[in-house]
Amino acid sequence: MSASNGMFSPEIFQDLQARVDRDVKVREELKDITQELEKNVRVVSFALSKAHSTPVSELSSVLEAAEKPIQKVVESVGKLSASASPLPYYKFNDMWSRKMQDATYGVLLWAWLGGKNEAGDTTNGRLLTIDEVGSILNVPVNLKDEDKFHLTIEEYLQAIISLVEELSRLARNSVTLGDYARPLLISKFVKDLLAGFQVLNLKNDNLRRRSDGLKYRVKDVEDVVYDLALRNLIPKPT
Amino acid sequence: MAESTKESAPSPYAAMFEGFRKDLDEHHDRRDKIAKASKDITASSKKMQVGLLMCKSLSPKDEKAKNQHYEAIANQYKSIKSDLEALNTFRYANNITGGNQEFVEAISFEHYLRTQLLITYADASARISKMGDAGGFAELSPEDYMLGILDLTGELMKYAIGGIARDHKLPAGEPSKYTRRVKAASKQQTEHEAMDIDREAHASAYSWPTPGPDGRVRNILDDLRQLRLQLEMFEAPRDTRFASDFEKKMIVMRESVEKVEKSAYSLKVRGSERPKGQLDMGEDRSVAVESY
Repeated sequence: MSASNGMFSPEIFQDLQARVDRDVKVREELKDITQELEKNVRVVSFALSKAHSTPVSELSSVLEAAEKPIQKVVESVGKLSASASPLPYYKFNDMWSRKMQDATYGVLLWAWLGGKNEAGDTTNGRLLTIDEVGSILNVPVNLKDEDKFHLTIEEYLQAIISLVEELSRLARNSVTLGDYARPLLISKFVKDLLAGFQVLNLKNDNLRRRSDGLKYRVKDVEDVVYDLALRNLIPKPT
Repeated sequence: MAESTKESAPSPYAAMFEGFRKDLDEHHDRRDKIAKASKDITASSKKMQVGLLMCKSLSPKDEKAKNQHYEAIANQYKSIKSDLEALNTFRYANNITGGNQEFVEAISFEHYLRTQLLITYADASARISKMGDAGGFAELSPEDYMLGILDLTGELMKYAIGGIARDHKLPAGEPSKYTRRVKAASKQQTEHEAMDIDREAHASAYSWPTPGPDGRVRNILDDLRQLRLQLEMFEAPRDTRFASDFEKKMIVMRESVEKVEKSAYSLKVRGSERPKGQLDMGEDRSVAVESY
């Protein structure tokens, strides 16, 4: 370094530029994968959105139609996981966090509607745990020490909020389809989840802002149940 | 809310959410702790800068005052060391960036006053690592370094204008120390390692630069211009938080350089028409800087 000619050698800034450019390149490479994931997630949503206009008795065809797209999502997540695992997780996770949320949401909705579990059984109205989502997407969850790709609890919780939003819509549409029992199932489910969120000490962040809206979604569903009860439309338990 | 007894039954997901609460609480506590440390580092770094602005060259008394702040900063870095490791190295980057930038500003200013050189990224990074008592800790990002150096231009501006008021000339190197300068040149590469060891020897080993081929010693305005030129060449990645911070600081940086240029101009034009004694506002100036 010829310091006597100046305050510094220009190499300092060339080196910094190279470092910054390296990160830009990493991001560009990841972008292709996350865009593919985003596209595949959209196909799942598209397939499952038919549930709003399909009676429960015919739902199995909707669920089956969603299985292939979900498989595609799992493949994309696998690619992402392989590319991202060697990188510092929190340096780049802003690139995929939203997409992982949406992928998780797709899987949660599918399972809630009655998608088959590992044993091949179908159960209406079940919530997949974060571990179950992890095993479907084939990624580790909630890592605390190991620095590699995983599903975070924040992403899982965000997906639950999306699920509640979708179900509040489904409650109304079930009634339109003449299904007066499902709103009750949904009502209990979203209330249990709201109770769960009330246990959390959320700070001023995204999760807090979105979870603040949960009580309105729960109220939407309660209004549907109220309308049905008022008109004596709620099926008597047999 | 609770309309019937059925609703008050515990949620089947209660246990699951309890687990999440524990994890989220830990995360929030860590985040708060790091943000607080960052604020304290910022405050101590600012105090260090104010102290540095006051001195013409680093006297033992200034060293002592500066070391106090240094120690406070080191303690803060130590206290969050374990929170910024492994998986969490980058997790709280947004929470620590303020402290890192301010600290880079402080140490680069100190380094400049000592050597009239810009501290390198490697040296700045090594100093922060050292504070955590371990290598590799709290990696200083190139972005934080760049933003800290942009802030340095503001300090140099204040220092230059203070120097003009005090000495009626731009702070610049002292050719008389030429010999010491040559002696120091070989030590330069290992400079960061000498940081905490033997400060006195360190300080005397460095001196102001030698005259260039044209026989003129570069002054602080030359340095600011060189810095500006390089910073203008730098390309921040588009659409990032760094890019927007960078752009904002670039505007301030340009203003700083121009303020010094204007002062140098005034010095030349108005300085020539008045006796020196009349311009002497050294006292006033130092008070103004102190209260800043």
